[in-house]
Amino acid sequence: MDIESFVQEFAEQYDEIPAESFTPDTLFKENDEWSSMTALSIIAMADANYDVRLTGDDIRKSSTITDIFNIVAEKANK
Amino acid sequence: MDFPVSRYGLNFRLVTEDDAEFIVRLRTDKKLARYISHTDNSVANQVNWIKNYKRREEEGKEYYVLFEDAQTGPLGVFRLYKIEGDHFTAGSWLVKPDSEEFAALKSDLFLLIFGFEDLKMNRCFIDVRKDNKKLVRYHKMFFRPIGEDENNLYLDMDKAAYEHKRKYLTSILNL
Repeated sequence: MDIESFVQEFAEQYDEIPAESFTPDTLFKENDEWSSMTALSIIAMADANYDVRLTGDDIRKSSTITDIFNIVAEKANK
Repeated sequence: MDFPVSRYGLNFRLVTEDDAEFIVRLRTDKKLARYISHTDNSVANQVNWIKNYKRREEEGKEYYVLFEDAQTGPLGVFRLYKIEGDHFTAGSWLVKPDSEEFAALKSDLFLLIFGFEDLKMNRCFIDVRKDNKKLVRYHKMFFRPIGEDENNLYLDMDKAAYEHKRKYLTSILNL
């Protein structure tokens, strides 16, 4: 699991923001597109690609894509 | 089910004529309106629509539900209609864009529990605009596509799919 691929997969959950504008430090809720549907898309992506079940609390306490990456990595290693 | 109902930190109640202005605000919101078919969005028209709806509600044919936060007020609405035999249609789902980020999912969970458990239905139908990509992705996680036309995708959900969705949402929302 590497951060570059994860950022790319994360970016694919957004329909209106160019993928190349995402970086590990992107504040992923700080945009007009963010909604509970985006949150669920990210949860579904982690489920499908990493077999990890993120929760609403995981999303709530995270600000950057790196924050989510670290949670997914930790859960994937359990 | 006796409305109002408090669940998941939200209050769910049946829409009244006093909610017309809030509903029009939702329907004309710049972000939400992109995926709504154009109708007369005047408050007076909405009041008349709700008056007519109340007759269907009395007959148990339709339920238009508003959910709200005790602190911040109304957050959104959804509707169960075409309640016939063992199935119903869900729609008119609108949530204020600046709502708490999981309010929409909580309302969706409530809607399905109401339809499948309280109304004892076995199948739910929905339709979604094809260009509403996120919503299409979301619904395809749990619903089965059964048809389409130029603008819309039509999907259904049976009881087993409902059970799966209920467990999934309950799990990620820590409910």
